[in-house]
Amino acid sequence: MNPRLRLALALATLVAGLANVALLLRAGDDREESLVYLVITIVGVGWSFVGAGLVAWSRRPENRTGALMVAVGLAQLLNGLLFNGVILVRERFAFALWFLLATLPEGVLGHLIAIFPDGRATTRLQRVFIIANYAATVPLALVQLLLVEPGRLGCTDCPNDIFGLGGRDRYGDVVLAVSDLSLAVLTALLLWIVVMRWRHAAEPRRRSLAPVALVGIVLLIVYMTGQTLKAVLPDPPLALEVGFNLAILIALVLWPLAFLAGLARTRLDRSAVGDLAVQLGEALPPGRLEQVLARALHDPTLQLAYWLPDRDAFVDAAGRPVELPAAGGDRAVTILRHDGDPVAAMLHDAALDEDPALVRAVAATARMTIENERLQAEVRAQLEEVRASRARIVEFGDAERRRVERNLHDGAQQRLVSISLALGIARSQVGATSEQEMAVALDDAAAELRLALVELRELARGIHPVILSEAGLGPALVSLAERSPIPVTVTAVPPERLPSRVEETAYYVASEALANAAKHAHATAVSISARRLEGELLVEVGDDGVGGADPDGSGLRGLADRVAALDGQLRVYSPDGKGTRITAELPCGS
Amino acid sequence: MRVMIADDAVLFREGLGRVLEAGGIQVAGQVGDAERLLALVRADPPDAVVVDIRMPPTHTREGLDAAQRIRAEHPQVGVLVLSQYVEPHHAMQLLEDGTSGVGYLLKDRVADVAELVDAVRRIAGGGSVIDPEVVAQLFGRRRTRNPIQELSEREREVLALMAEGRSNQAIGDRLFLSPKTVEGHVRSIFTRLDLAVTPDDHRRVLAVLAFLRA
Repeated sequence: MNPRLRLALALATLVAGLANVALLLRAGDDREESLVYLVITIVGVGWSFVGAGLVAWSRRPENRTGALMVAVGLAQLLNGLLFNGVILVRERFAFALWFLLATLPEGVLGHLIAIFPDGRATTRLQRVFIIANYAATVPLALVQLLLVEPGRLGCTDCPNDIFGLGGRDRYGDVVLAVSDLSLAVLTALLLWIVVMRWRHAAEPRRRSLAPVALVGIVLLIVYMTGQTLKAVLPDPPLALEVGFNLAILIALVLWPLAFLAGLARTRLDRSAVGDLAVQLGEALPPGRLEQVLARALHDPTLQLAYWLPDRDAFVDAAGRPVELPAAGGDRAVTILRHDGDPVAAMLHDAALDEDPALVRAVAATARMTIENERLQAEVRAQLEEVRASRARIVEFGDAERRRVERNLHDGAQQRLVSISLALGIARSQVGATSEQEMAVALDDAAAELRLALVELRELARGIHPVILSEAGLGPALVSLAERSPIPVTVTAVPPERLPSRVEETAYYVASEALANAAKHAHATAVSISARRLEGELLVEVGDDGVGGADPDGSGLRGLADRVAALDGQLRVYSPDGKGTRITAELPCGS
Repeated sequence: MRVMIADDAVLFREGLGRVLEAGGIQVAGQVGDAERLLALVRADPPDAVVVDIRMPPTHTREGLDAAQRIRAEHPQVGVLVLSQYVEPHHAMQLLEDGTSGVGYLLKDRVADVAELVDAVRRIAGGGSVIDPEVVAQLFGRRRTRNPIQELSEREREVLALMAEGRSNQAIGDRLFLSPKTVEGHVRSIFTRLDLAVTPDDHRRVLAVLAFLRA
């Protein structure tokens, strides 16, 4: 907030207050209420609101609460000046002016309560209330001036028709009853808004809300009861009216102070930063940091997430992935950075955004510890990933052994058994059948044997392609392409031999990607390339199929595991309808 | 004709020897590894050697390496490499060192005695023999643009036999065609596939295989 504006507002408030007091003293015995009562009503409430408002405005310039509090105070002081002016000049137009603006302080106050502590309307109900609330100030007063006899509005000296428009008190009863009723409805609505806000608020917001809400609720209840009584009793006893007015006054003067108290409670939390520093000085068991921070910020829902650069993701202390909440919800995020790089994220109640300085102070105090925990979380995340991948690899190996066993039993072994049987029969028939029949039986056995050999060869090749270990990745990829059921172009292969683990993984990536292209992607063309790039082997397999491959499907998952076992990285680009491109970067260790 | 055999599986080696002798071929030596085969060949070069691709000590490509050394040291000795599985890469490697007196066959072929003996004789005579399985695999290869599809049925048969290393005479005998007709088919194939014409029967096998692999 601009210091000059602050000074100007403070001076205007001071002058308006003193002018009010001067006018009140000048008016002497012409007023009905006591001097003290009026000074408190006007000057006390006005100064209190403006003062507290200026404090709030300076501390939270982005929050409209402070400005609205200043507005309430100024409106009240202006209202007092006009009121006293009317008493002094006893002029009907002066009365009309005062009457028009008389309910403005209440209107601004209603607005203020409706939006506290966010500083802006967040729900539709709040926006509707604010508009209706302002409609019930100047516009409603104008209707009253036009349709109600001035005497019933408080101007005993005024003529029956202030503006000379000929409108007697024809609709007076109706207008007054409707006015009172609408005020009661608005008040009830405001109360509802405040209650709902409290119910939805989390711990940190309630802490700053509590004093304000408490006084506000008392104020509303008293005000509402007063309005209801006024509407029900046509002529309420004076004592009752004075009593209600006084109660409202006291609450009104206290209300801005309650706001200051709320602010003070968040300022108290700043001492918690000191406590936090002490607590962090002692060694914390893993995972405890979250609790300590939650206590320091009075937000039991606080959650810490640590940044893992190699995964591009946030994880919790146990290494599980964490989703950051979207902006604008109940949850907010404060990202902690080190040299511009994210280190961790604090997920907390959106109310803490009211005091970003506090959150930052807590975060800065805990940074070293957070860095430590982040490293631990990183290690744990890697460990969890390694565990999962190890389990998958074991499972894959088992499944593969079962497949080989099944193929051996159902294929080659079956055929060998039947050949053995056929030969046994032929042997028993030696001499009993013609030579020609014997030759046919032996030919059948030989044909069956050839099939068994073919099956064994295919099976052996599926387990491990000999050409790979013997001639290297290039010939093996070309051979893979030659056997492929879909056209494959091998665009590049490394001319030299690479470590066998690299060659095997690269081959496996290519053959699995090729199998997927044929089986799932319905591709009509595939291209494979394997190139050396600065100590890495880059394997790329692209097809023109339907895309939409699931990187978490068992096949690609297994590939990623194999690639990760070499500290490499597998990437799958598979937009729907745009083909699939699988790349693997494999460090070659040179 | 004298032949030497190298295979570490004794039973197979002796069976093979018996089959060749039954076909009228003299088996001049039987060994279980590449080193001893080389020693035998150097001492008294035979007309041909039959060698298994996988032998001790590593059981990977000892036979192939031995074959290449024998061809370098004794170009007049024919070399037939046997393998449990076919790999066009191996066939090409053998042919790239020279297409005469070289063969690459699946071990299964020993079951057909006549075929085997014929192959050994062709190799010893300076011909080349490529297993039909290699050719079938290359023919079966999927291509985005497949010029083989543009050939007639008969031309495809001729092409496959050329890829197996057969001469025009042998192709004619197989398909019951006159040598002139075969020559006509060969010219037509070379034109349609846009291949440089090689007059030599033996050298064209490499061109055809290279074309099929491309």
